[in-house]
Amino acid sequence: MTAAIQSALAPFQRWWSYRDLVRNLVAKEIKVRYQGAALGFAWSLMNPLMITLMYLVVFTYVFPSNLPHYPLFMVVGIIHWNLFSLLVMQSSELLVGNADLLKKIYFPRLLVPLSNLLVNATLWLMALGILFALYVPLGGHWHPGLLLYPFYLILFLGFTFGIMLALCVLYVDFRDLKHLVEVFIQLLFWATPIIYPLSRIHHPLIQSLMKLSPFAEFSLIFQSLFWADTLPSWKLSLGFALWTALSLAIGLTLFYRRGARLIERL
Amino acid sequence: MSEPAVIVEHVSKDFVLHHNAQDTLKKRFVGLFHKRWRPQPHIFHAVEDVSFTVARGEALGLMGHNGSGKSTLLSLIAGIYPPTAGRILTRGRLVPMIALGVGFSPELTGEENIYLNASLFGLKNRETRALFPKILEFSELGDFIYEPVKNYSSGMYARLGFSVAIHLDPEILLADEILSVGDADFQQKCLARIEEMRNGGMTLLFVSHSQDQVAQFCDRYIRMEHGKMVAAGDVANLIDSVQKQKVIPIQTT
Repeated sequence: MTAAIQSALAPFQRWWSYRDLVRNLVAKEIKVRYQGAALGFAWSLMNPLMITLMYLVVFTYVFPSNLPHYPLFMVVGIIHWNLFSLLVMQSSELLVGNADLLKKIYFPRLLVPLSNLLVNATLWLMALGILFALYVPLGGHWHPGLLLYPFYLILFLGFTFGIMLALCVLYVDFRDLKHLVEVFIQLLFWATPIIYPLSRIHHPLIQSLMKLSPFAEFSLIFQSLFWADTLPSWKLSLGFALWTALSLAIGLTLFYRRGARLIERL
Repeated sequence: MSEPAVIVEHVSKDFVLHHNAQDTLKKRFVGLFHKRWRPQPHIFHAVEDVSFTVARGEALGLMGHNGSGKSTLLSLIAGIYPPTAGRILTRGRLVPMIALGVGFSPELTGEENIYLNASLFGLKNRETRALFPKILEFSELGDFIYEPVKNYSSGMYARLGFSVAIHLDPEILLADEILSVGDADFQQKCLARIEEMRNGGMTLLFVSHSQDQVAQFCDRYIRMEHGKMVAAGDVANLIDSVQKQKVIPIQTT
């Protein structure tokens, strides 16, 4: 019995023993990316800041929105979408870009996408910090439901990680996937209630279809936590948890079924 | 005799080379209609049915020409590729030195790269910290260790890579023609260090073009040609055959 438990835990123990590698890879990436830049990794805020300002101007002056606290609504959606789209767009090249390393040293391959996730999530924490700093000025209220935010954030990262794993494996065989993803993610942005509320969609069929998409689900979850000051409905939470499980299942299966044979083809 | 450190059983490795690789969706789609666009897989047998064992503490030299499959064999043992057929077992902490300074990041300093490189081999930062003075001393880099690696000469780069790999305390060391780096003095120092670790009971798999180096370091040798094992035996025989080759032509003329 204990032997069975031990063998089930073995892979986790192995990953755990490589924790310093993850730490070093993350530190390296952050250091390299913003080395020599006077503002350091404050630059990582430039892009989201500009986009947010742009939409803010458009949707307050050009097409005014009648939502209360609209800037907060939009910022919450965009901040999470940004992390998602950044991770997904970078994921295609993760294995191919690290071919040199993967072909010369054996270490758990999963640590390559994992450290990329952690790098981007770490840099993103600054954006999140700004959201928290501006939370009350933008019209938000602290409420106990926000304590559940880390739980939803982990679900969200897990969902994204599954997609990353699938993409980096598929990219080895389908090198035009990257362009497809780049176009598709733009489309997805507008097809997700991020800068407009779902209630703006009047067609009932399209609205219910949109509700089923995991992208709308995570946006709705974060909007309800930060903007509507309520807990996400259990249906929404369960739905997104299922999507996360599915995404991770597909991603991990692809990664482990094809991953080993992939290295020689990088 | 104790249990073998490395067992290689009927191992083969095929690489599929596509002359018209279908690595984009476009090519796959067009390939449905045009035969010329379809891939023509060409199977390359890099390693064919190789079997051997290496006892703990033994040193095995892998010899052969370029493309004979010796480096692929080493990668298979290191676990980088899965074998197409056969089985490979290794016992003990294995350090592949297939290329020196893999994973070095040019922007980072030598010191930072030591930690990164060591952790790629599974070392904790705490363990690296303890080894750091020894690594620094062996590399002879002095204060250059605090400079970004991009400013290093290729010799310094190799020295740093070698110093890290050699201090990981491997039980099995896979070395792929890495001793052709650095200046003569440093090479000598590396060889001495490998010798020292061998005396400490380390198992060594050594790929080299140089018969002299194999003769110097190894107990046994394997010669590969076109992916197949064509000769194997004691290094003593190797020296004999070398001497015969050198001597016979003189006698016959």
